[in-house]
Amino acid sequence: MCYYFAMPTTVMPETIPDHQTDSKVSLEPGYLVICWDDPVNLMEYVTHVFQIVFGWEQEKAQKHMLEVHEQGKSVLVREGFERAEFYVHRLQKYTLQATMERDGK
Amino acid sequence: MKLIQADQENLQFEMAHPEKFLLQQVLQCYPLVPATYHRLSKQKSDSNHEENQRLLEEALQAQRQEHRQQIEALLNDAKRFEVCAAGYEVRFSRVEMEWLLQVINDVRIGSWIAAGSPSPKAEPNPPPTKQTMMMEFAAYFEMCFLRALDGGKSSEHD
Repeated sequence: MCYYFAMPTTVMPETIPDHQTDSKVSLEPGYLVICWDDPVNLMEYVTHVFQIVFGWEQEKAQKHMLEVHEQGKSVLVREGFERAEFYVHRLQKYTLQATMERDGK
Repeated sequence: MKLIQADQENLQFEMAHPEKFLLQQVLQCYPLVPATYHRLSKQKSDSNHEENQRLLEEALQAQRQEHRQQIEALLNDAKRFEVCAAGYEVRFSRVEMEWLLQVINDVRIGSWIAAGSPSPKAEPNPPPTKQTMMMEFAAYFEMCFLRALDGGKSSEHD
């Protein structure tokens, strides 16, 4: 006990945020996989590609295809960098206009 | 071109002589889409943007080479097209159908780019060119394949 009294100026350790152990979200922000409209890809084809790449049912694939067609783009999924890159690559293999954009949220 | 049989693995088509000729013409055009057509991202703020873009183009280039080899193998397979009363019978696996769709759509999009990326609304009756005709041929086979795949249970292949 005396030991502690002999050290009246004990400095409490400073808490430094450990960026190494931060959540994965802050290390790897989300990326939106977006399909953009173009005047040439067939609507049936785009629906098919969404079904194959994401394993979606036809109804969901069609909903996103119509979003692309009517609104100019559709956000398909939000993923980490590698997964988003994987999806973009697969969509581009089918010659769809797909990109990944950092999610601002 | 008519689907005559489909199961979990394969689809069998019947096609006339001109259809076989046109399919070969479309496949031989591949690849047409320029290597720089695709962008990984519209944002350029990422410090690794250039490197990631380079890697994407390398991956797409490797895929083109693979597809080119698959096309050569398909076109040189003497047993692939069997003569029948209507012309030919040809069987494709569902895996082959997926890469064929990628190839055919590449020819369609590449022809559109080569034609100057015309808007479908800009001119009602543009004069036919080699590119616009190739687009039509590719669209024909694309729709035949999509309808055939839609008729059976499709699974993920790539």
